[in-house]
Amino acid sequence: MASSLFSIGLSGLRASRAALDLTAQNISNAGTEGYVRRSLNVSEVASVGSWLVPGDLTLSGVRIDGVARNADLFRQAEVRRTAADYGRATEELAGFENIEAALEQSGVYPAMTAFEASLQRLETNPIDPALRAGALEDARAVARNFNLASSTLDTARDSLNFTAQAGADQINTYATELARVNLQLTRAKAGSSDQTSLLDRRDSLLEQISAQVGIHTAIGADQSVSVRLGDSTGPLLVSAGTTQAFAMTTAADGTIGFTLGGTAVSVTSGSLAGKAQALIAVRDRKTELDGIADTLIATANAAQANGVALDGTAGQPLFAGAGAAGITLSLTSGAGWATAPAGAPAGSRDTSNLTALRNALDGAKVTDQLDGLLFSASSATAARRTTAEALDSIASSARLALAEQAGVSLDDEAANLVRFQQAFQASGKVIQVAGDLFDTLLAIR
Amino acid sequence: MTTITTSAFYERSSRALNELRSRAESLQGSIGTGQRLTRGSDDPVGASQLRSLSRESRFSEISAVAGARVSSDLALTDSGLSDFAAYVTRVKELAVHAGTDTLTPAQRAGIGVEIKEIYSELIRLANSRDSAGDALFGGEAAGDAYTLDAAGLPVYAGTAQAGELALGEGQSVIRGVTGPEFLNFNGANGPTNLFTLVRELGDALQGNVADPAQAARDALGDLDTGLETITTAQTVVGSRMNWIDLIDDRRTQRSEQRTEMQADVGGADLATTVTALQEIMTVLEASQAAFTRLAGLSLFAMLR
Repeated sequence: MASSLFSIGLSGLRASRAALDLTAQNISNAGTEGYVRRSLNVSEVASVGSWLVPGDLTLSGVRIDGVARNADLFRQAEVRRTAADYGRATEELAGFENIEAALEQSGVYPAMTAFEASLQRLETNPIDPALRAGALEDARAVARNFNLASSTLDTARDSLNFTAQAGADQINTYATELARVNLQLTRAKAGSSDQTSLLDRRDSLLEQISAQVGIHTAIGADQSVSVRLGDSTGPLLVSAGTTQAFAMTTAADGTIGFTLGGTAVSVTSGSLAGKAQALIAVRDRKTELDGIADTLIATANAAQANGVALDGTAGQPLFAGAGAAGITLSLTSGAGWATAPAGAPAGSRDTSNLTALRNALDGAKVTDQLDGLLFSASSATAARRTTAEALDSIASSARLALAEQAGVSLDDEAANLVRFQQAFQASGKVIQVAGDLFDTLLAIR
Repeated sequence: MTTITTSAFYERSSRALNELRSRAESLQGSIGTGQRLTRGSDDPVGASQLRSLSRESRFSEISAVAGARVSSDLALTDSGLSDFAAYVTRVKELAVHAGTDTLTPAQRAGIGVEIKEIYSELIRLANSRDSAGDALFGGEAAGDAYTLDAAGLPVYAGTAQAGELALGEGQSVIRGVTGPEFLNFNGANGPTNLFTLVRELGDALQGNVADPAQAARDALGDLDTGLETITTAQTVVGSRMNWIDLIDDRRTQRSEQRTEMQADVGGADLATTVTALQEIMTVLEASQAAFTRLAGLSLFAMLR
């Protein structure tokens, strides 16, 4: 009789001790990223009497069933999905902000305005060498600022490309690691603390993959996970212990695409998708900028060709090269401005060809096109900022919802600590009582 | 039951504090720069408006300089024309004087010498320079407006028209008058010019013709026509100067409007911004205080 009291007390001691351990573990991991609060599953051990002594009740204390991990699968999936959307939006926004900065800070528009203004000033006295030299330098500034805008866009493109490559490599690392975790999970005992820490690892890997690329997950009976890119019909990235190689391809125009196991896949969320979209925008803006530079070159050179320079010789081209990256100043001296129309004598103050150049620049709408380019870049950025802000609050509320369900509350743990400590002391008391009972029996004489 | 877990509490608090902080900082940036927009995407339409406004300002500055230049050139033209008119008046006086029959031929010849002197003055005057050192009455030619041919007679070397100069606001003005425009006219015997008239009068008085007194009387009619041509040209110059003044006024008004629009579109209103900043600072301080109190509330601290 007393022996069963001993064993009941002992099982209670063991259970409270394990609960205290888990509480301590929860407290120490309160700030750990991806840690899910653990709790102890216990059940009563009791059996009804055998057929020999029916009605008899045997009590045997408490049994530890396992460690429960309080993670809500739906909330976890929501965190992954919203994080992938947010990752796409922020990367795209960052890319657009870079484009905007490249176009605004390279100062193409102010340089073009200054150039037009100095052409206007040259009209007041077209044979003044200072005004001619000033106009030439302003033309050089326009060419240089076009070069600068183009090279800044190139830098933005290269850094996007570089980080996208790093992101694609990371996906492979995470996927391989996830396959290893899958294999270990199939061997781990359900409810063991070994399994719970593997599950933590599995979930944090999934979160890291989904930050790069949107995924769909399916969790098997043995807690191993299979990962598909995109939605439930997408191609398999990880299945049990096998992975498919994820790779990035770069096209000649700088835009990127992705393959999985050698087959092209479309990536619609995650930061890789954002980078791919930003790269497309970089390419488009560059094409637009090149077009404007080409218009400027053609317009200015055509107007120059219609007039004569200060010394009465035929006007030479103002710009050489092609595109925003290639445009350079070709005229070497201010005397080369063809301000006078063809046939005018040397030193003519006739400004009709200069007026024609200004009108041609106006007519070709170079400045207007630059303004349009800046406007579309900044309004695209503004629109994406709004989207990114909305997705940020959605993603953070999903994260908060998960944290509230799966995270550690220190107040709760403090209360648990006291509760389990008292349970431990009470179980100790049970053993002491059992001992006293035994002593009482022994003392009968 | 919703439990407030520790990580959720800290994350929520830090998000809220961060957001307040970044709003305060953007307001502080607005106050520091006086600009509401730090980058185009803050307000794409406004940024585009600001770009075109600053472009207009830039052009307007240059137009103002151009206007001032044309003004001073036209003032020079005006005073040159006055000089011409004064000389013609003097020639007229002399011609009236020489036309009286009581003068001796020697006295007439003396008057002729003075008129020939005035003639060479007229040529020098016709070659006056403008503010940039170019021919004032030569249209768009560089160098002298009148050159002397082999016989020593002045020949117009400039262009037929003075150039136009844009004044901004879509307006332009002809920057001067050319020599032939006010020196050539239709005399009693067909087209002539002031130089020929004065030179021939001087020669006639010096005894080149049979009856110098009659020649002096005959020249009076043409001198009147010449003077009229010059005063007409002066009227034209005067009205062009008025036109420039008018455009200047308009430019000033436009630039005031532009500045106002720039302030409206891109400027940060100090009173509003400072008030908004103060509001955010109050909220931020309250949130920080609340956060400190809540974060200090731990059950562990109570259990002894």
